[in-house]
Amino acid sequence: MQQKLTEEKSIYLQISEMLETDILRGILLEEERVPSTNELAKLYTINPATAAKGINILVDNGILYKRRGIGMFVSAGAKEKIRERRKQEFYDRRLKELLAEAHSLGITRQELMDHIEKGEA
Amino acid sequence: MSVLKCEKLVKTYGQHRVLQGLDLTLESGKIYGLIGRNGAGKTTLLSMMSNQNPLTGGTVTLDGEPVWENPKALHRICFARELNISAESGLSKYTVKRYLQTAATFLPHWDREMADRLIRDFDLDPKKKLGKLSKGMLSMLTITVALASKAEFTFLDEPVAGLDVVAREQFYKLLLDEYTDTGRTFVISTHIIEEAADVMEEVIILNRGKILLMENIQALTSRACHVTGLAEEVDRAVGGLDCHGTEVLGRSKAVTVLLREGEAVSKNCDVTVQPLSLQKLFVALCQEEA
Repeated sequence: MQQKLTEEKSIYLQISEMLETDILRGILLEEERVPSTNELAKLYTINPATAAKGINILVDNGILYKRRGIGMFVSAGAKEKIRERRKQEFYDRRLKELLAEAHSLGITRQELMDHIEKGEA
Repeated sequence: MSVLKCEKLVKTYGQHRVLQGLDLTLESGKIYGLIGRNGAGKTTLLSMMSNQNPLTGGTVTLDGEPVWENPKALHRICFARELNISAESGLSKYTVKRYLQTAATFLPHWDREMADRLIRDFDLDPKKKLGKLSKGMLSMLTITVALASKAEFTFLDEPVAGLDVVAREQFYKLLLDEYTDTGRTFVISTHIIEEAADVMEEVIILNRGKILLMENIQALTSRACHVTGLAEEVDRAVGGLDCHGTEVLGRSKAVTVLLREGEAVSKNCDVTVQPLSLQKLFVALCQEEA
C-alpha cells in the first residue's frame, strides 16, 4: 500500500495491484478490512473515484467483498487466488517474453537451464 | 576555473536565524538547481552571494577575493530577483524599456541585442508599464535581465513562477542555448523540481538554513530508492543502510534509502524496490526534518 505511483501505468491498476501484493505478503489478512476509497485517495493524493475504480476490479475478481455499512474486506481464499493468477500470468507472459528474448539472443536451452540453476543457488 | 565560495555563512533577521553556518562551493561552468521549502533561506542565500544583503557572519569569496562591496567581483555576478511590483512602488511607473535601460547601467557585460531579442521572443511590449504586467510577464522580464547580463555567475530566483507550461519550456531552452554557447554558471531556485531536474547538473537542497545535500542529480537519483513491504521484511532488506522518511502503516512499512558506494538493498527479501524521482526524494528528506 505504501509503494509510489508511477506514470507508466494507469493509477487504478496500480492501486489494485498494490492491494493484491499486500494480501500476498500478509500485510492485509483475509477477512480483514482494507482502507476505504477515501483513505486510499488521501494516502496517494488521488481522486477518490480513481481509488474506487481500483477497488472495484478486486471486488469483481472476488478478492474483496463489501460488508454493507462497514467497508471492504479481504475474501477468504483471496491469497491463494491471487497467487494462482499471478503464477499463470508469469507463465503466460513473462516466461514467454523471456524465452523469446533468449531465442533472439541465440541462447541455447542448455545455457538457459544452467543459468536458472546458478541463479537459484 | 573560477570558484564562488561561501564559508560559515550566517544570517539573522532580528531573532530569526535564517542561515546557520552554511558552507557552499560553486564551480564555474555548471547549472545548479537550488531547492528548498518556503522559508528555507534560498533567496537570502542568493542575495548574500551577490552583495545585496549584508552578512551576519561568514564570508563569500570569488576566486579568493571577498565579494562584499568589491566591484571587480560583482561585475562577474548577477542576481535577477523575482519582481514584486505593488501599485505604490516607484517601479510600477517604469516601462519595460526603461527598466531594461536601468538594468544595463548596473551590468557591465549587458547584451542589448540579446535583451531586445528576448523581449520580442516573449512577446513583451517595451512600452508597457511594469505595474500593468502579469506575474508571468514579470518573470519573463527577470529572465531577460538575467540572460542578457552575460554575468559569469548568474542567479535566478524562481524564474518560472507564474509562467505557463509553454513559457517554462521556452525558458529552459533559452537557458540551455545560453549555457551551451557560453558555459556561464547558473544557480536557479525553483519549486517545480521535476521539470527543472532535467536541465540542472547539480542539485543543492537547502533545509532550515543549512545545505542538506549537494550532489550531481543523476548520481543522487540513481542511489535513491523506495522500499516497501511487510515491516519485518523491509527491516531485513535495509538493515545498515542510510534510511530516511520511514512510514509505518499497519503491518506495512516504507523507507527511502540513500545507498552509499557499493551498497545494495538485500536480495531475497520479499519487498518492492522502486526508483525515486528528485521531487519524491526531496519530499521524503524534508518531511523527515519537519
